[in-house]
Amino acid sequence: MGLRTHIKAPALAAALLAVVLALPCSALAMTTDKATAKPNEDGGSGVIGGMDTRLTWEGTVEEGESVDSVTLTIADDASFDGSTTRITVLEGLTRVNIEGEAAADGNSITVSFADPIPAGSLLRLEVTNMRFPSEGGDYSVEGSYVDGGQTKELAASPSISIIANTPLQSVVNWLDEQPWVAAWNSNQFLGMFFKPQLLVTSFSSLFPGWVLCLGIVIACYPFAIVLGLVFSLLKISKHRLCRAVAVVYINVLRGTPLFLQIYIMFFGLPMVGINIDNNLLGIIVMAVNSSAYLAEIFRAGIQSIPRGQYEAASSLGMSYVQTMFSVILPQTVRRVIPTVTSDFITAFKDTSLLSSVGVMELMMFSKNLTTVSGNITPYVAAGIFYLIVTLPLIKVVGVVEERIAASESGLSRKPRKRDQKKGVPSVQ
Amino acid sequence: MSSSKKFLSHAPSTAVPASLPADEAAAAAFEADQGLTNHHFTPGEHPIVRIEHLNKSFGDTVVLRDVNLNVWPGEVVVVLGPSGSGKSTMLRCVNLLETPTAGHILIEDDEITGKSAADVNKLRRDVGMVFQQFNLFPHLTAKENVMIGQVKVLKKPKEEAAAEAMKQLDAVGLADRADFKPGQLSGGQQQRVAIARAVAMHPDVLLFDEPTSALDPELVRGVLDVMRDLAENSGMTMIVVTHEMGFARDVADRVVFMEGGVIVEQGIPADVFDHPKNPRTAEFLGSID
Repeated sequence: MGLRTHIKAPALAAALLAVVLALPCSALAMTTDKATAKPNEDGGSGVIGGMDTRLTWEGTVEEGESVDSVTLTIADDASFDGSTTRITVLEGLTRVNIEGEAAADGNSITVSFADPIPAGSLLRLEVTNMRFPSEGGDYSVEGSYVDGGQTKELAASPSISIIANTPLQSVVNWLDEQPWVAAWNSNQFLGMFFKPQLLVTSFSSLFPGWVLCLGIVIACYPFAIVLGLVFSLLKISKHRLCRAVAVVYINVLRGTPLFLQIYIMFFGLPMVGINIDNNLLGIIVMAVNSSAYLAEIFRAGIQSIPRGQYEAASSLGMSYVQTMFSVILPQTVRRVIPTVTSDFITAFKDTSLLSSVGVMELMMFSKNLTTVSGNITPYVAAGIFYLIVTLPLIKVVGVVEERIAASESGLSRKPRKRDQKKGVPSVQ
Repeated sequence: MSSSKKFLSHAPSTAVPASLPADEAAAAAFEADQGLTNHHFTPGEHPIVRIEHLNKSFGDTVVLRDVNLNVWPGEVVVVLGPSGSGKSTMLRCVNLLETPTAGHILIEDDEITGKSAADVNKLRRDVGMVFQQFNLFPHLTAKENVMIGQVKVLKKPKEEAAAEAMKQLDAVGLADRADFKPGQLSGGQQQRVAIARAVAMHPDVLLFDEPTSALDPELVRGVLDVMRDLAENSGMTMIVVTHEMGFARDVADRVVFMEGGVIVEQGIPADVFDHPKNPRTAEFLGSID
């Protein structure tokens, strides 16, 4: 509970004087000139509740009064515990050195002065490390003052708007206070790439971008699969023209960068008068691009099915279409699951390229955050978001591949539980 | 055809001109096959399969030269011969898995060569086939394998197809494996499921392309028993390409010996096995034992 007086710079003194002169001084009670709180939002301009801020309160002592102490009070959940108070007293243009002592009591603080503040002087109290209520809202500073042994009400100040403190913010606040966080951040590399506070806020800020990435890739994939299947069937068609169409489509799309395809679609289409919503266009570009890769995956899958399967289906009298849909494609699906999953992972990561044309996806959000904070941590957070999706999928690829290898080498799975219950003996 | 002429003199030819009306062709075939088969002819009977002057080449390689063969209803024809003699190719021509280069194949007096894809599919439901590599559909259970042709091709209701499937699986002794996938079955069991799959379509002819060649010796017997049962108790018309001499001798109505894409000799098993007329046949049968 340190207390000290403060010597102000002459310029500020002049400014304060101007304020004083502009104010009406008609009433016989001490006036409240202003009450403000210093912004404590990270990179913003708002005051967040439940976080340390500096309250500045100014009042003018009226004629015939001499103030011995001032008590400032804010609504219940505000806290002055652990605060430090600076006292500035200006009498006209002259600074008066007045010592004082501050005693905090929950949501109020009482500043007692060693010498009474003379009439007509401006009193400014700066209370650092105080907190407004976490739930946010509009608060005004009230209180009382003692004038020669007589306690009088202070006029309520104009209200101060406080932003609600989220659980996330409280985590950041908590982190701010931890010594290990300070030590961690003092390492240049760790502080630049893995700043805990920024990691926490990034997760919340990047979340909508992550959802959009997932949304784009999940929305585009069914179309990509259908398109890919169509072009794979065209590519193995008996008709030359069909094959030619498929070859051109597949090779052009696989042979040019996705980046270029995005540019052509996003800048080209509006020029010819086609205006599509950015996110929708992103889905279309991703679907078309993936379909070319999927077409090749499906073609290879279809052609890996042994000839005997076609012959067996034919010998039963099945038509080409029946053979394809009942015999060949169901087997192809199993075989291509690992490769298709890999392609899905690639497509998901490639949505990052859409940030180049202003789609508000994960990379776009992290770029903005990095620009504001001057720290790389938001990019690292983005990386973690990508991994949340890709790591489990990579695991899936591995498991499915193992299963396929096992079933094809004849070391097949055990009979289903249903069969075992019936007491059917295992395979010879 | 000059090259085939040379072989014709060796082969007991049963060629019947395709241009003949069905009745006359049947009569001619009847004449030609007298004494070559144990089949009990009934008066006015027509052959189920007529192969006439069948030729097949892969590029420059001639695989079949002027093959002629009639197969009668309920007859079991076993085709023997060394590897590369064209046995399997001939069989595959009968359900058009291979397209003949020249010649005619008639199923129930109906010319099948030169047909459209749709007609070929129609034909194939009447000609069942059992493959050396079983070719079961690995993503389906044994029962579903036997059902799929009935449902997709014969358009049977599922319940009916399932009942038929269980009946056929029971006939090959695998009713208890109905819900197993092919990967969970032994080779012999898979081949028996494949036979059930083919029989469930109730084909007019069943083709067996070396059905036991891919099996471990101890599994061969079970498959042969099923085939024997089919031949003896169901009266199924069968053309069997195999190396199983015991099966040929016991079950076949007629044995056909092929070499170099030509039918070198054919006749009832007792004649071919005990008194082969052709030295190549004698040599082959001798080397097998």
